[in-house]
Amino acid sequence: MATMTYIEAISRGMWEEMDRDASVFVLGEDVGAYGGAFKATKGFLQHFGEERVIDTPLSEAAILGAAAGAALVGMRPIAEMQFADFVTCGFNQLVSNAAKIHYRWRLPVPLVVRLPSGGYIHGGPYHSVSPEAWFFHVPGLKIVAPSTPYDAKGLMKAAIRDNNPVLYLEFKYLYRRVKGEVPESDYVVEIGKGAVRREGTDIALFSYGSTVQFALNAANQLAVEEGVEAKVVDLRSLQPLDTSLILESVAETGKVLIVHEDNLTGGVGGEITALIADQAFEFLDAPVRRLAALDVPVPFAPPLEEYVLPDQTKIIGALRELSRF
Amino acid sequence: MEPVLDGRPPAGALGPKEKLELYYFLRLTRECDNAILRLYRQGKMVGGAYTGTGNEATAVGSAYALENHDYLLPMHRDLGAHLVKGQSVRNIFLQQLGRAGSLTAGRDGTGHYADPVLRIYGNISHLAAMIPVAAGIALAAKMRKEKDVVLTYIGDGGSNVGEFHEGLNMAAVMKLPVVLIVENNQFAYSTPLGKQIAAAKLSDRAVGYGIPGVTIDGTDVVKVYETCRVALERARRGRGPTLIESVTMRMQGHSASDDASYVPSAMIEEWKARDPIALFEVELMSRKILDDAGKRDIEKNVRHVIDEAVHFAESAPYPEGPDSVNGVYAP
Amino acid sequence: MANVEIVMPQMGESITEGTILKWHKKVGDQVKKDEVLLEISTDKVDSEIPSPASGLLVQITVEEQKTVPVRAVIGYIETDLSAAAGAEQTSAAPASATVTEAPAVTRVATAAPASEKRVSGRFYSPLVMSIAQAEGISMTELEAVTGTGANERVTKKDILAYLEARKAGASRPVAEPSTTPTRTSTSTLNIGTPVEIPELRKKYPAPAHEVLQMSNVLQKMAQHMVNSVRTSPHVAAVHEVDMTAIVRHRLEHAAQFEKNEGFKLTFTPYIVEAVVKAIKKYPLINSSVEGDMIIRKTYINLGLAVASENGLIVPVIKHAEEKGFVGFARAVNDLAVRTRNRKFSPEDIQGGTFTISNYGVFGTLIGTPIISQPQVAILGTGAITKRVAVLNDAIAIRSMAFFTLSFDHRILDGALGGMFLDTVVKNLENFDTNMKF
Repeated sequence: MATMTYIEAISRGMWEEMDRDASVFVLGEDVGAYGGAFKATKGFLQHFGEERVIDTPLSEAAILGAAAGAALVGMRPIAEMQFADFVTCGFNQLVSNAAKIHYRWRLPVPLVVRLPSGGYIHGGPYHSVSPEAWFFHVPGLKIVAPSTPYDAKGLMKAAIRDNNPVLYLEFKYLYRRVKGEVPESDYVVEIGKGAVRREGTDIALFSYGSTVQFALNAANQLAVEEGVEAKVVDLRSLQPLDTSLILESVAETGKVLIVHEDNLTGGVGGEITALIADQAFEFLDAPVRRLAALDVPVPFAPPLEEYVLPDQTKIIGALRELSRF
Repeated sequence: MEPVLDGRPPAGALGPKEKLELYYFLRLTRECDNAILRLYRQGKMVGGAYTGTGNEATAVGSAYALENHDYLLPMHRDLGAHLVKGQSVRNIFLQQLGRAGSLTAGRDGTGHYADPVLRIYGNISHLAAMIPVAAGIALAAKMRKEKDVVLTYIGDGGSNVGEFHEGLNMAAVMKLPVVLIVENNQFAYSTPLGKQIAAAKLSDRAVGYGIPGVTIDGTDVVKVYETCRVALERARRGRGPTLIESVTMRMQGHSASDDASYVPSAMIEEWKARDPIALFEVELMSRKILDDAGKRDIEKNVRHVIDEAVHFAESAPYPEGPDSVNGVYAP
Repeated sequence: MANVEIVMPQMGESITEGTILKWHKKVGDQVKKDEVLLEISTDKVDSEIPSPASGLLVQITVEEQKTVPVRAVIGYIETDLSAAAGAEQTSAAPASATVTEAPAVTRVATAAPASEKRVSGRFYSPLVMSIAQAEGISMTELEAVTGTGANERVTKKDILAYLEARKAGASRPVAEPSTTPTRTSTSTLNIGTPVEIPELRKKYPAPAHEVLQMSNVLQKMAQHMVNSVRTSPHVAAVHEVDMTAIVRHRLEHAAQFEKNEGFKLTFTPYIVEAVVKAIKKYPLINSSVEGDMIIRKTYINLGLAVASENGLIVPVIKHAEEKGFVGFARAVNDLAVRTRNRKFSPEDIQGGTFTISNYGVFGTLIGTPIISQPQVAILGTGAITKRVAVLNDAIAIRSMAFFTLSFDHRILDGALGGMFLDTVVKNLENFDTNMKF
C-alpha cells in the first residue's frame, strides 16, 4: 500500500501495464522528453524508450487516427490529449473510425484516450471543458471517470485491458489535490461499476469526478444540520453506467439529486434522469433534480467561474430543498 | 542489386504473364463497376453506387505492386485494388447488396469492409479519415519490426481535408512505411480541380512534408506499377512515405445519381481516347501478348465470374432486424 | 411460375420518386436480363434502366409520363417460360428490406385507487400512490393523511407514519409540526367530514355523537397553535389607545380616499403605519430565535391575520419598511381582495416577521393572541368602542381600544414589550391629522 496523488496513481497504472504488456505504448504531444504537460508520463521515456513513448507532432486527428490504426492491428495505444478541450480536433477519428469499427468489422480497437478534463482551475473556456456528453451519445465508445487515486489506477488498468476504445477522463482539479491509499498490487476496477461513498436512506446523490468530494462534504453537513442522510454514489463509469446501482439507490431513498460539473442541458445527468423516470417511477417521492454547471462556456474570471460551477454550498442548498419536498 | 521479394518481379520486370494478369484485372474491375451500376438502376441496390471508370489502371497497377503481407487501405474508386489484393467478387457484391453474409454482416456497404486476412481495411465516407489510420498501422508494423508497408489513396478533393495533412505529416516526420496515392481525376463531385487547389501540381505538396513526390500518367498501368514498386520499397527500407499523384479522369458521375453534366463534353472525348484499358489492350496486342481469341476468353471468364457472383449475392439472405443490436462493443 | 417485379429504383439517397419517360419494350415482348427496359427521370438524373430478369414482359402497371414513388412496382416479367401471358400475381421476393417498427414498450406505474374520486386536489407522488395501493389505503383515507411536505404534500414519511398508527389501531395521527411558517390549504370548506370508525363508534355511539375527521386546515391550525405555545413562553401586555383623532380623520377623508383609490379606507393602514414605525425603533420585535441565536431581520414583512372560511390565513405585506400610508392601504386592500377571491400564492402567506390580529371586528375587547412561529410577537387589536375616558382631567367620551402584545419571553421582556406597545399607542394618538388624500 502506498499513499499517492491522483495523478501519480494514473501514472502508476500506465507504467504497470506497459511493464506487463509490450503492446501497450503511449503517444501524444510532449509525453516523452517533457514527461507530459501534467507530468503524467514523467520518467517513461527513460524506462520504456522512445519507441514506446512517442512525441507526436501537434495533430490530434493524427494522434487519435494513428492510435486507432495501431489498435486495429493488435497494439494497445494510450493516446494523450493535452487538454480534453483539444479532443474536438480529432473528433472525427473517434466517432467515425474508432467507435464504429467493431460494429462493422467485428475487430477490436483497444485504445485509451486520456482526457485532462474539467474546471475549478481558472482555465477559462478552452482549458476547462467536460467532454463526456459529446461522446456519451456515440455507440462504441466507453467512458470512465475516476475521482480517487485508488480508482484512477484501477480504472486505467481496466481501460488499457479493455478491447474497446475507452475515454479516460482525468480531472485536473484532482490531480495533486487528492491523495489516497493505492495498493501496489495488480488490481483492476471493473468498468461499469459505481461506488457508494456514503450510505443514507433519505436522498440518493449521484455524481462523478471533481464534484464527488463536494457532494460528500455537503451530505455530511446536511446530516449534522438537519438529520437528513444522503446516499452518495460515485458513478466512476459513464459508459456503461452502473444502472442497477442507480435504480436500487432510487428505490431505497425515493429522492434523487444528480450533480456534475458538465453543463446541465444534454449532460449525462439528463440521461440518468430519464432512466430513473422510465424504470423507477413508482419509487419517486419527489421530482429528480440535477445540479450542474449553468449552460455557458466555463468563464475565466474567478467570480464568474464560481458562479457557474457547482460547489458545496449549491449542493447543500439543493439537498435541503429536496429533503423538504 | 534488387532484393528478392515474394510474388512480384522487381520494377521494370513485368513479363507477359504478369501483363496478361493485369489486363484480366482491368477488365474484371470495369465489368464489376458496370454490374454495380446495373444493380443500382434495377433498384436491387440501395444507397450510392460509386464507380472507378477511368481509374482502373491506377487501382490495379498500384495494388499489383504490393506484397501479400502489405496493407491496403483503398478509396471508393479503387475496386481494382481490392480484386488484385485477392478479394472475391462474391464478397464485393455481398457488400454492395448489404447481405447477411457480407464481410460487415450488412452493417456497412460498398467498400467499407475490413478483411484482416487479406489485410484490406476499407474506407469510410469521411475522406482522408483513413490516412491517420494508415499511419497508425504503419507505426505498429514499424514497432514490431515487420517489413510491411501501408498503401492508401485519396482523391484530388479529399486531399484538402485536414486529416490528409495531419496523417501524412506524422508519417513523414516519423518515417513510417506509408505510400499515399493521390488520384487526381480532375473532379471532386462537381468541383473541378481549379476550384480545389491553387498549387500547380498536387505532388508539389510533398515538398512541404519533406518527402518525395511524383506525378504520373494514371492511365498507364505499367507506369503506375513501377512507380509504386519503387515507393513501396523505399518505405520498406525505412526511408518513409512517398506521395504519388496519379493523373486520370473520372469518366462517370460522382455516383449513379450524378449525370456529370457539368463536365465539358470535349474533356470526356479527350479522355475517352486515353482509356486505360483500351490503351493497354493496344499495347498487348501489338506485342503479341494478347490476341482476339485470348481477349474473348478473358471476357468470357470475367462475365462468368461476375454473373456467378451477382447471382450468388442476389440470392443471399438479408440480415434480420434484431441482429442490428449486437456487436457494438468487443467482448 | 415466377413473376419478377420491375421497380422504380432510388437514384440517390434523397430521391423519393421517379417519372417514366419511355418504355423500350411493350407487353408481350421478350426481354433479356440487363437489356435496357425503360428510361426514367428523377430530380437528379435521367437514367436507362436495365431489365432485372430475362423473360416475358407480361404487365406494365405504370405508363409513360407517370410519376411514382421509389420502389413502387411498375411492371412484371414472367421468367418461367412455360407459363405464358395472363398469369396471376404471385408474391415476388422483396427487392428492398422493409423497416419494421419495434412496438413501443412502456412501463405503466401502478395506478392509484382510480375508482374513488379525489376530493382535495392534493398532489400525491408516485411513491406514495404505490404504497397506498400496496397497503390498501383508500382514496378517502389518503385524503385525510396529514402532509408535512411542501404545500402540505403527503410525503413517504407521512404515509409510513400513518400506516404505523393505523396498525396500532389509533385514530389518525398528527404528523410532527414542521418548522416552516404557517400555510393554509385552499381546498377544504368544512372543519371536518363525518367518518365511520368502528372503534370510535363504540366509544361515541350515534346519534348522541358525531365523529368528524378534522380537515387538513384545522389539523394544520391545531398543530401550529400547539407548537407555538410549546415553543414560546407567551406573555401579554395590554395597553389602551385613544383612537378618537383617527376616527375623526377617517370620517373626514373616507370619501375622498375612496374616490382616489377605488376602495374603502379602513383603520388598518393607520394601525399598520404606527406599528411599522414602532418596529423600526425596537427591531428586536422583528426577529426569530434559533437555538441560542437571535435572527434579526432588516426587512419587515407584516402579516395581517384574517379569519376566513378557509381557516386562519395570514397574508403578508412584504417590505413594509419601504411603504407609506397609502402604500399600506393599497397593500392591505390588495391582499384582502385576493384573499376573498382565493387568488393568493404561497409567497403571499410566507415569510412574515410580525403579525397583527384584528379580533376587534368580532367585538372582542381584549384578546391574548398566539404568536405565529417563528416570529416573537403578535399584536392583537380589540374593538374600538366609545367609552368614558379622562382627558385633561375632565370626563370625555372617546373612541378607545385595547391593544394586546403577546410576546416571546425567551428574548423579549416586559420592559421591551411595554415600551414597544407604548410607542405604537403614541404613534396612533399623535397621528398627523393634517394628512390629506
